[in-house]
Amino acid sequence: MSQEVKISIRNLYKIFGKEPDVALEYVRRGMGKAELLERQNHVLGLRDINIDIREGDITVIMGLSGSGKSTLIRHLNRLIEPTAGEIRVDGRDVLALNEAELRQLRRETMSMVFQKFALLPHRTVLENAGMAMDVRGRKLDDYEQEARRWLARVGLEGQENQYPHQLSGGMQQRVGIARALVSNAPIMLLDEAFSALDPLIRSDMQDLLLELQAELKKTIVFITHDLDEALKLADHLVILKDGEVVQQGDPQHILLNPGDPYIVDFIADINRARVLRVRSVMTTEFDPDAPYAGDLAESDNLETVLARSGGDTARVFRVVRDGRQVGALAMTDLTRALVPTAASGHRHT
Amino acid sequence: MATYDFLFSSLGLEDWCSEGKSTAPMSMAQLLARARGDEADAPGSVWDLPFPSMDALNEACPAFPQSRELTKGLEEGFLNIKDSLSVVLDPITQPLSWFLDGALYVMLNTPWWLVMPLLLAVVYLVTRSWRLVGFVALSVLLLAFIDHYDYAMQTLAIIFVCAFLCVLLGVPIGIAMSRSDLMQRLTLPVLDMLQTLPPFVYLIPLIFLFSVTESKLYGIAIILYAIVPVIRLTDLGIRLVDKDVIEAADAFGMTPRQKLFKVQIPLALPNIMAGVNQTIMMSLAMVVIASLVSAPGLGVLVLRGIRNLELGVGLVSGLGIVILAVILDRVTKASLNRINAAQKP
Repeated sequence: MSQEVKISIRNLYKIFGKEPDVALEYVRRGMGKAELLERQNHVLGLRDINIDIREGDITVIMGLSGSGKSTLIRHLNRLIEPTAGEIRVDGRDVLALNEAELRQLRRETMSMVFQKFALLPHRTVLENAGMAMDVRGRKLDDYEQEARRWLARVGLEGQENQYPHQLSGGMQQRVGIARALVSNAPIMLLDEAFSALDPLIRSDMQDLLLELQAELKKTIVFITHDLDEALKLADHLVILKDGEVVQQGDPQHILLNPGDPYIVDFIADINRARVLRVRSVMTTEFDPDAPYAGDLAESDNLETVLARSGGDTARVFRVVRDGRQVGALAMTDLTRALVPTAASGHRHT
Repeated sequence: MATYDFLFSSLGLEDWCSEGKSTAPMSMAQLLARARGDEADAPGSVWDLPFPSMDALNEACPAFPQSRELTKGLEEGFLNIKDSLSVVLDPITQPLSWFLDGALYVMLNTPWWLVMPLLLAVVYLVTRSWRLVGFVALSVLLLAFIDHYDYAMQTLAIIFVCAFLCVLLGVPIGIAMSRSDLMQRLTLPVLDMLQTLPPFVYLIPLIFLFSVTESKLYGIAIILYAIVPVIRLTDLGIRLVDKDVIEAADAFGMTPRQKLFKVQIPLALPNIMAGVNQTIMMSLAMVVIASLVSAPGLGVLVLRGIRNLELGVGLVSGLGIVILAVILDRVTKASLNRINAAQKP
């Protein structure tokens, strides 16, 4: 898939403290996070981040707490100012924008969903959903229909006149998502949007997001600390540790070729059969006339293939896209893919 | 011979000392001492060593100012700038007199059968509670029955005007404080001073500045005393607004102005209203004290009770003040609760 780069982040640094520019020099010369804190009393937020976020993709930035993922997403709409580096949205340098242009960008190009929902408690669900329109100076009559439509789309029909505190957490976050959708911005930033929700509701919300994304094709940047969530949603996965990108790329690829012991640890507990898909393990060199045990889609996960094989490792399946064969998958390859990988030593980007 | 002669002689200041003569008026203690004729105080033991205060040093060196000159100097300084100060302050504060006189006139000249229902309607509008309306009705009827209606209405009129002006001035000041740490650092000591100065103390310069016949005199005293909580709680309320919501407002591109009016003030409203409640209660406290400087109302009766030792008058009017206080407190608290219920976090 070769969509256009929507947001490009180049050599981004963020250092928190009194004299970040001085500390930046130390960091550029290779001082680590712990040393910087101890010697210079500055906190290293982000170090040399380079990410291309492609249009229409869900880019998931994953890391444990303190890895700088929330700091990173706040740089995209400059809620946090970087210490050094470059951020371009549609080729436009975000850091060069003046106050009015920045507001314009926040109003029309980016919308955001927050971990703690951050709804206005004194406004109704309907008014909250229309917040982006209200900010642009539009009247309620004007955007009411739009807001109602999106509220219904996220499953909140009939709740328009309630106040946020009358809703459950999951429903409040649905309002948060509707609010982001009503703004009609092409880029959506989701900052640990589902982390505060119960596991079941979280899974529902992930499905809702995927469903909306299939329809709307927005550019989504999703922050999470949950690997399962990351693997479920990501088209492009970026793994952060201590403010640095450890590895980024297709999540399937990362799973099969982890570039760092840290990631190996991370993915050790994952149910590989459920996450890996046929397209990542199939071979594209195949004999079209060989006897195949059946047809698979590229997006099938290995768990379904296992179930279909009935445990017979001798079988070979045909992989089909639009009625045409694009690959073959031997059960032996599948079994090999399920063996947890050790770190391959070098870095894949 | 005085105790600290040696100090001035060792500094070589004898000439300067002998030239000067303190111009301070003689203190009562000095007069008494002179009358008794024991002016020459013998240099006693170390036990009697006086602290080297201004007065003690003055004994050794007449050119050194006495402490009484400090207060006198202050007084003269104030009197000197008083006229120019009045030129500036008089026009600025004149509307306050008009407001107060107007409110008192309207309250007293509107017939009771119009004022009472109006008052109850206001109570219902802000509280939506029939129980409170009933309570207020009973209280006002009781006050009217014992012929304290006019006094109570005067007190209420003054409180309404002063509390309204406190909110009008205090909320913007509080907002300014919440937006700038420098402003907060500068304002807080002033607020601390206003809150700790005994109210009688700032009545004194006010009496010098304005005539006692002007209603703005007590108006200013009440406002100075009562404005503090609304300022403090506005500042606090806005600073306490959930950081996440502020961030969301920023992320959706609100201008600072939109943020203030659409997010910060509405979310700070419970705190601001708590400040208004306190301001109203403090206005009531001050309006009683301000009867010393001709504020009309129940305070006048209290003052009469004290001056003439009319126990009954004092007690009944005191009870009237308590009733007013309870009414004002309940009504503002009820409206505060309505706001709180509308926006749980």
